[in-house]
Formats: sequence, structure tokens, C-alpha cells
Amino acid sequence: MTTNTLVLTGTRSNERLGAVLMAAFLGLGLVFMAGFAPAMALHNAAHDFRHAQNFPCH
Amino acid sequence: MMIRLVSAALVAGFLAAVVATGLQFALTSPLIIAAERYESGEATAPAAQWMPRGASPASLIVPVHSGHDHGGKTDGVEGGEVAPAWQPGPGLPRMVFTALATLVGGVGYALLLGATLIACGREPSPETGLRFAIAGFLAVALAPALGLPPELPGMEAAPLAERQFWWIMTAAATAMGLYLIAIRRSPIAIAGGIVLLVAPHLAGAPETSHAASALPPGYAAQFAARSLGIAFVFWAVIGLAFGWAWNSVGRKNPATSHA
Repeated sequence: MTTNTLVLTGTRSNERLGAVLMAAFLGLGLVFMAGFAPAMALHNAAHDFRHAQNFPCH
Repeated sequence: MMIRLVSAALVAGFLAAVVATGLQFALTSPLIIAAERYESGEATAPAAQWMPRGASPASLIVPVHSGHDHGGKTDGVEGGEVAPAWQPGPGLPRMVFTALATLVGGVGYALLLGATLIACGREPSPETGLRFAIAGFLAVALAPALGLPPELPGMEAAPLAERQFWWIMTAAATAMGLYLIAIRRSPIAIAGGIVLLVAPHLAGAPETSHAASALPPGYAAQFAARSLGIAFVFWAVIGLAFGWAWNSVGRKNPATSHA
């Protein structure tokens, strides 16, 4: 694992951390919106996707 | 690097959404619509279960209507009552919003996949992408489905908040367990990983519906299998496409990989 870390494009680790945190935050936000947001309009819009992807629905 | 990660996730999410949307229209949407016909024949009993927590009195009426008309039928509207919450119209609008939700979900999953790859120190490629995508499938599709099988409308049992909580806990524990087993690999980590994989199922999922339903069981079985199949394809495309896009974005603009 350490060797892989070093090979990874040689970026500074704090920049990597920033990218990871940003992507994780954004990703969780999008998944929440599509799969969990309780607003009725969002639920209704995403209804078939939620059922198909096995998000708890209604 | 941030730009490269987001671009690759957008490409992967888009490609996966195109594939998964096609599969959903062909395989699951017809079953959902068929199930809603059975559901709309029922009374409004399940409606109370999916009220959002802390709903204001004015919005209490909404779920009562939506319980049977969220399938796109607005025949329950009566004069003087609060109108039901917005919903896409039947047919094309509904399909467009399903596609849109799939796109949002796909990009979200692709971002999480990319973040995990980078955080684990892996250079994204179609191969590593696919490996992590299989882990993603296990964590958010297969493991939660063991306790909460994919449901058609009208099959819901336990309160929504309980099921959502168990779903999130199971997905998080499975992801962490897989990380410990596949990446940490020390005996203690593997033991801990197995505990994390098993614990949510020992704790037990919220009860599934045992109530008799007019819905033919064949529909439910078919839906569960198809849903998991689509989820696997969804994840596989996300992983492969993310690895591919990461490298092609990097080639076109090598500066981003060092910026």
C-alpha cells in the first residue's frame, strides 16, 4: 500500500486529502438527494430510481 | 486533482446512468407501475407510514393522497383540500425524472468511488475501478438487500426512518469491513472486518412485510432479482468508466495531475 501511495502522481498529500474530502462530501450529498431526501417532491421525482436501487422508500 | 476527480466522476456517472436507466425502463419500471395498480386498489393504510418526520399539520394530508396516487394518478384531489405534493406526470415526465435521479445517484456514487480509490492510495484504472465498484455493490446493494429486500410499492412494513437508519448502518459497516479485509489484511483487521460484515445482520433489520398482499409474489421476486442485477451493472459501469475517464482526462491535460 505504501508503494502505491508514493506512485500516485506524486501529488502533495494535503491536496489529495482536499480532493478526497470534497468528492466524498459532494458524493454523499448527491446520493442523499437521490436516495434519502425526505422532501415529497424529491421523493416523487426519484421514486422509481429509489425502488430500483433498493433505497428504503416511503 | 480535484477537477480530474470530478470530471471522471461526471463521465462515469453519466455513462452508468445511461445504461442503468435503460435497464430500469426495461426491467423494473413496468413492475413498479404494475404494483401501483394493486396498491391503488388498497385502502390508505400504508400511507401513514411514510409521512416525513415532523410533518406540519398542513402536509399531513399529502401522504394520505400520495399513498395511492404517487403512481402518477391524481384522481384523489378534491376541492377545498390541500393539493398533493408535486409529482412528475405519468409517462414521459416520470421517465425523465427517473433518468435524472439515476444520473444524480450515479455521479454521487462515482464521486464516492473516486474518493475511496484516492484515499486508499490506488491509481484509478478500469481494473482498480472495477474492484472497488464490486465492493461498492456489496456495501450499498447486496448487504442492505439481505435484510431489506428490494420492495415494490405497497410492500412496505417498518417505519421509513428505521429502515433508512439500518440501511445506512449496514452500508457503512460493510464498506468498513471490506476495507479492513481487502486492504488492511492483518489478522486482527480481518477478524474485525468479519465482525463488521456480520454485525448488522445479527442486530437484525427492521421487519419486512408479512402481510398478505394482492400483489402476485412472482412480481416481488422478479423485482428483487432484477433490482440487484441492475445495481451490479450500475456499479460495474461506474467503476470501469471512472478508471477509463480518469486516465483519459489526465492524458488530455497532464497539468491537472500535478497541479
